[in-house]
Amino acid sequence: MAESMKSYHNSLKEALDDSFLRKTLDKFAVQYKANRAMIFADMNAKELISEIADNKDQAMLHIEALYQQFVEQASKKGVHVHRARTAQEANDIICAIAKENNVRTIIKSKSMTAEEIHLNHSLEAAKMIVNETDLGEWIIQLRHEGPTHMVMPAIHLSRYQVADTFEDATKSKQDSDIEKLVKVARRELRVHFAGSDMGISGANFAIASNGSIGICTNEGNGRLTTTLPRVHVAICGIDKLVPSIKDALRIIRVLPRNATAQAITTYVSWITGASECTLNDDQKKIIHVVFLDNGRIDLLKDPKCREVLRCVRCGACANVCPVYRLVGGHRMGYVYIGAIGLILTYFFHGHDRAKNLVQNCIGCEACKDICAAGIDLPGIIQEVRARLNEEEGSPITSTLLAKVMANRPLFHTLLKFGKFAQRPVTSGNFVRHLPTIFAGDQSFRALPAIASRSFRDRWPSLETASQGSVKIGLFAGCAQDFIYPEQLESAVRLISAKGGAVDFPLQQSCCGLPLQMMGERKAAIQTAKANVDAFESAKVDHIMTLCASCANHMKEHYTELTGDDPSYKEKTAQYLSKIIDFSSLMKNVFKFSKDDFNNQGQKVAYHSPCHLCRGLGVTQEPRALINMAGEYVPTPEEDVCCGFGGTYSVKFPEISGTLLAHKLDGIEESEAKPKLLVTDCPGCVMQLRGGEHKRSDRVKVQHISEFLDLNLKKK
Amino acid sequence: MPGNPGSINQANVDLFKAKAKPASIEVVVVKDLKAALDYAIEVTEKTELGKLMPTTPGLSPPDDPNRKKTLAAPSISDEHFKLLSQKGEAKGFEMVRSKLRNHLAGIDVAFTVADLGISETATCVSENNSEDYRLATMICETHVLALPMNKLVKTSYEAEDFLIKAMDKDNNYTSFISGPSRTADIERVLTLGVHGPLYMHVALLEE
Repeated sequence: MAESMKSYHNSLKEALDDSFLRKTLDKFAVQYKANRAMIFADMNAKELISEIADNKDQAMLHIEALYQQFVEQASKKGVHVHRARTAQEANDIICAIAKENNVRTIIKSKSMTAEEIHLNHSLEAAKMIVNETDLGEWIIQLRHEGPTHMVMPAIHLSRYQVADTFEDATKSKQDSDIEKLVKVARRELRVHFAGSDMGISGANFAIASNGSIGICTNEGNGRLTTTLPRVHVAICGIDKLVPSIKDALRIIRVLPRNATAQAITTYVSWITGASECTLNDDQKKIIHVVFLDNGRIDLLKDPKCREVLRCVRCGACANVCPVYRLVGGHRMGYVYIGAIGLILTYFFHGHDRAKNLVQNCIGCEACKDICAAGIDLPGIIQEVRARLNEEEGSPITSTLLAKVMANRPLFHTLLKFGKFAQRPVTSGNFVRHLPTIFAGDQSFRALPAIASRSFRDRWPSLETASQGSVKIGLFAGCAQDFIYPEQLESAVRLISAKGGAVDFPLQQSCCGLPLQMMGERKAAIQTAKANVDAFESAKVDHIMTLCASCANHMKEHYTELTGDDPSYKEKTAQYLSKIIDFSSLMKNVFKFSKDDFNNQGQKVAYHSPCHLCRGLGVTQEPRALINMAGEYVPTPEEDVCCGFGGTYSVKFPEISGTLLAHKLDGIEESEAKPKLLVTDCPGCVMQLRGGEHKRSDRVKVQHISEFLDLNLKKK
Repeated sequence: MPGNPGSINQANVDLFKAKAKPASIEVVVVKDLKAALDYAIEVTEKTELGKLMPTTPGLSPPDDPNRKKTLAAPSISDEHFKLLSQKGEAKGFEMVRSKLRNHLAGIDVAFTVADLGISETATCVSENNSEDYRLATMICETHVLALPMNKLVKTSYEAEDFLIKAMDKDNNYTSFISGPSRTADIERVLTLGVHGPLYMHVALLEE
């Protein structure tokens, strides 16, 4: 059943009001990052992740051969191997195994794949008694809920809720002490372990070279599930096939570290053939392995999305997602949770279930940065949006915007008209009353007014050198061209102060990121090509942006977007090689130093824009520059998204506003109590300044170019 | 190299000890396997009498205050089991070597020997195709493992050869164990002993 956007918003609101959930996930988000950094401290995580990505890609290319090898090896050793094309087929196979072995009671250790196919429903419909044994899974089974995290399925529940659930299950009074609750589970589940006919487990790895499976658990329930009952069925996605033990060992180096910041899970069980089982006459376990396809093989043939098959199910994409942190798992996935959940819901559980979910990505790239298999999660989410638009037609606002933005003269004319249209409603530099479509929802921040003169109108009268040591081409981006032209003027003054020449090719347009985010592919291609063309004739050494999002989008997507036309190959590569962010240009090219600024020792907080720190990997330069002209003071979670996310903040104002409030509270309540906040992205400026304006401007917000320009020594 | 008697890599020993701490593993160094048996007796003596659990629906826990402590050692040699039994019985323990299925309500201590150790993660690696081995080490409240120092390797990659040999067999169950059974599923509070042992001891053998 497709959920309406309205009811999705209602459930988001409900989650935002759940103070336990908010507190738990907030605490987790902060601790997780610190713990993960520690557990990876003496390792090269990036290198390991890229090895995993390459290995998984290779394995996927040879999946049929690996499958054949696994079948051959495992069958030889007495394992029955099955392959299910669909969820239904997998359920049927497992029910049939249960029936042919006269199974009545089943215990399960944790398996997301079993969740994916709703295996328990099928088994229960076949009159089997099924008990989950992973503590979290058992709790949600008793509550008839789905998991809210892939590794910690009951993270949304308090000890009191768990105590109530256990009271219902055991028909006796339960203490809410966590240790005691864990003991209740130990006692209750031991009975089920002892009395069950069949154990169902997942598998983290299926090793083709030996026909073995590997299972990681912390509780040890996996080891009991695969030992006690006379029948063992392991179910896993066909993407869990790896060529060798080494491949599995490599993944184990990252999986637990990324999942829960542990060096390794307490138990890793490697099962080969039919191990000893004294319940069967031949003293051997009856063992079956069921490989699930359910769309995976089709996904393999999909070059844009197939890397999702690298996923090792660590759940880290949820751990770092600022939206997950606010709303929890039930609003960030159907069965699979977090960024990977948004995507897998589309591929495994259908378009209807996915269409609201995939809108709920703010594009901050925290997930991409942490993914154990280096999957471009936000990129694939955008691709899924584009496909949904193609399948179902774009929303009317998105289509209109795409039409307008693909046509630069029209777009720019409209923006200029906008400044007249807004006149009766502006107050200072903010819009005083919003047009009705925004009213209410957008009240968490003041929105900036369109500048009375855009940068492109000011450009001809600016004093700049056309010749200099270095020639910089300005890529203005819509926000700075039309809303904050003064930020660009500051940048121009700084470049000129160091003897740089500046050019501003007027045919440039929007970078196209909003179009990409909305899944408007055609328009995104048109704007990409227009920009490459606009800078082709301008012979510049660097193309500077003051907006990390523009730079990141261009670097990430222009090669692919212009790829349909071979004549763009060379010039797009040229264009991209010249792109540089403002801070790197100032610090590394123009070599600004303390001597260039009047430093009054002003305390300055810094917000690290998502697309700068994660997208472009720039973290040191802006902080170093701030220290030249003031005193940089660290504030909490500088690299967590401010909640802007472009069109995201219009689509999900309730989440955008909450992220903004969290960010501003953190700065205002920080020890140093800075009165100035600097960042280097106009979108973040818009969000942060708009939020502070609503708080009577207790903290001033500046783009780093303005801040440096204001403190530049006059020569 | 693993299994090369006499060659002890002290760096690996130190690393194992350091990594054992965050994994809630108690490490002691003893001379040899016989000394490890003594250590198992000592641990059993010190441990509190474990509470047994029902294993059949409707059956309440046997609440016998005179129950003997159980010490299981399913996978050691006849000679070592005999030695262990003599000492255990002298202390009044019930000694168990097989048919662990009859003890699913729980045992107090299990003693086993690991085949290999991975220092980097304080992991004990054992081939435990024997059902009794697996059960003893899951249903006990305290697991004592003997691990020869010369079988310590630094990283899991160095355990690859061992694993290949094990997994090339027709039937094999090999376990990595890196601490007591743990969960953080309720409010992310780390709690030990959810399904398996609450405590884990590793006796590193010098010989």
